[in-house]
Amino acid sequence: MSTIAPPTPTAAPTASRPSGRAPIARLAWMLTRPGAASPATVALPIVAFAVTTALLLIVLGGVLMFWQRTDVNAEAFKLLSLLALALLIVPLATLGGAAARLSARRRDDRLATLRLLGATTGTVTLVTVVESTVLAFLGALAGVVLYAVSMPLVGLIPFDGGPIGPTAIWTGPLPILAVVVGVALLAAVSSVIGLRAVVVSPLGVRLRQRAPHTSWLRLLAGVVIVAVAYGTLSSLGVITDVAILVVALVGAFAASVAVLGLVGPFALSVFAKVRLRRAKTAEQLISARGILESPKAAWRLVGGVAMTSFVAVVAGTGTALLESFSAQSSADAIFIADIRTGVLITLVASFTMVACSVGVGQAAAVLDRRDLYVSLDRVGMPVATMDRARVRSVMLPLVFVAVGSALLGALLVFPLAGLALIVAPLSLLVIGICFVLGLALVRLSLLATRPILTNVLAHPERSLG
Amino acid sequence: MNTPLLHASSLVLRYGSTTALAGVDLVINEGESVAIMGASGSGKTSLLHCLSGILRPDGGTVRFAGPTGPVDLSTLSDGERSRLRREAFGFVFQQGLLVPELTAVENAALPLLLSGYARRDAEARAAAWLGALGLRGLEERRIGELSGGQAQRVAIARAQVGGATLIFADEPTGALDSATSVDVMDALLRSTVGQGHTLVVVTHDEKVAARCSRVVRLTDGQIVSDSAGPVPPRAAVPAPGAFAGPSPVTTAVAHVAATDGPAFGGAGWEAGR
Ligand SMILES: Nc1ncnc2c1ncn2[C@@H]1O[C@H](COP(=O)(O)OP(=O)(O)OP(=O)(O)O)[C@@H](O)[C@H]1O
Ligand SMILES: [Mg+2]
Repeated sequence: MSTIAPPTPTAAPTASRPSGRAPIARLAWMLTRPGAASPATVALPIVAFAVTTALLLIVLGGVLMFWQRTDVNAEAFKLLSLLALALLIVPLATLGGAAARLSARRRDDRLATLRLLGATTGTVTLVTVVESTVLAFLGALAGVVLYAVSMPLVGLIPFDGGPIGPTAIWTGPLPILAVVVGVALLAAVSSVIGLRAVVVSPLGVRLRQRAPHTSWLRLLAGVVIVAVAYGTLSSLGVITDVAILVVALVGAFAASVAVLGLVGPFALSVFAKVRLRRAKTAEQLISARGILESPKAAWRLVGGVAMTSFVAVVAGTGTALLESFSAQSSADAIFIADIRTGVLITLVASFTMVACSVGVGQAAAVLDRRDLYVSLDRVGMPVATMDRARVRSVMLPLVFVAVGSALLGALLVFPLAGLALIVAPLSLLVIGICFVLGLALVRLSLLATRPILTNVLAHPERSLG
Repeated sequence: MNTPLLHASSLVLRYGSTTALAGVDLVINEGESVAIMGASGSGKTSLLHCLSGILRPDGGTVRFAGPTGPVDLSTLSDGERSRLRREAFGFVFQQGLLVPELTAVENAALPLLLSGYARRDAEARAAAWLGALGLRGLEERRIGELSGGQAQRVAIARAQVGGATLIFADEPTGALDSATSVDVMDALLRSTVGQGHTLVVVTHDEKVAARCSRVVRLTDGQIVSDSAGPVPPRAAVPAPGAFAGPSPVTTAVAHVAATDGPAFGGAGWEAGR
């Protein structure tokens, strides 16, 4: 305490005369350099951006691979790859958003300090934008390395009768450059957007509103759409024409994806209300309330899995059906096997992205609420209880959504695929295994963030006085 | 009645090269309200954390006369101390630090749920506490929808709903304006010492301290004044064994049966502001 030396004039950043301009780069470095912040707060956004970039490049590489094909099925594959891309965009965007929010988060606690020190709004904005962009850029570079390293592994995936090979998903240097720049820009833009709220209210006081009201009308619309889709598919009767079958499947898919988006958050909030009423323990209560707090946010996290589960069941059954009456030529068999592989990969990829989003989001949530966790620890709440509440609030909606949308898919393909369901238990088993693996992956990412929680509790001095 | 409830002897606490507590001896009796004062950095929070078993001191002992016999806090494991804090002590911090997504009554009921009470009983008891603290009608509000003073009362309810008779508060009014601060201090005093319980409160506010039965002042990790009597010279402090008497010190954690609810309130309780 008594050792604090008075500031020496020579320590001033600019010469003896103040220039009136704030040294942005210096401030950003001061706040970011190792030691200024806890390592986790700098490392986490970098890791998050790295994972986002790597997954983005792998998906992009996969899509480009299909677009370079010239064989007879090329057109079909181009279409299917776009479909897969459409399915993966939601979870990928969620992951990118989580990464951006993670780096933007760090500013809240320091912004007030900077403003108190007399920094202008412009300075604060610039420092934050510079910082998140630099972190995102470093993360993106690491992501490129991760992508390159994972290429041989991805190359083992069989397509067209054999493994695709270690360089199959190489996008070339230009797309990589575009992705790196894009990720850095995304971080810059989202930090500016995130900043506005804080600059307006320097105390960072965010008023929590009542949980948003989700309407029964959505549910009604959803039920009507599903009923119409079911009726249409049933009236098609036994289809023998592959083209009509594909059209029917795609139609049912489009309708149901619309339904999922429409009804998902509402269904989640109803689910959480039921859990809330049934809650007996502290962790059940906290997790149910956590989902109810923002069913939309809970949906955003797991919605990607909903779409993919639905497609996995529809397409899985569809391929089984196709196989049952066109196993004559080996080319057809390979084509059908490829579609099934594509379905499984998309399923696994979307679970992976959800797992990463969960990891990133939970890391941020624990750091965000470190004061709360420390105080609960002091009040005597066991760590296990805190952890279980955290795990439940992610796993419950995930299982609910995955199973729910798979059932919806099963309902819709049932009129078409009564036969196929009996014919191909194997393909369904494989899809089932993918589900279990996907859920395990997400559970694993929750496990991976537990040390952050125990670390926060072990170093309470970083939180409360 | 001068029954010693908490007995700290020769407490020493260091953070690296900083000595936060340099030999503190303090006996807190049942039914007292003790204000701990001192300049910033004098070791108030450190003392509170050692007394309540949040921190394990580097030297010295803290003995607590629990309902099932004396307990030496420094010999308890982390898990046992955690349980002791949950079941025998109550805490109020500067910021309420309540779980934001839970309602007021759910927050107040949390300790009971953790101790295995049925949810309905836990919430009924918590609601009784909230009512007694002037929060009737606000039970279903979430924390973000409460004022700072109201949230602090929820924290006061949470601290005592489990039947704790020893309450620790670290600057409970530090984040409130002076009028609200008077109300919250009222609520805290009435609900604790008002029904024979014990309160240890760290504060910077002389007005808060003036309402306590005893004021202890710290400077550089040592007690420099104690309104309960002259500070004994270090050598005159009784040996640690003297407090526990002939009975052996048990390490069993006290299980405190929760009372049927707040036994205070009635006239004079204005509605929450
Ligand atoms: N986690 C820690 N690491 C290092 N030093 C610490 C830590 N916590 C407290 N200290 C030091 O220990 C001394 C006592 O701190 P303590 O928090 O008990 O003070 P206090 O009286 O509660 O102050 P305030 O009124 O500001 O809350 C101070 O010199 C402080 O700098
Ligand atoms: Mg303090």
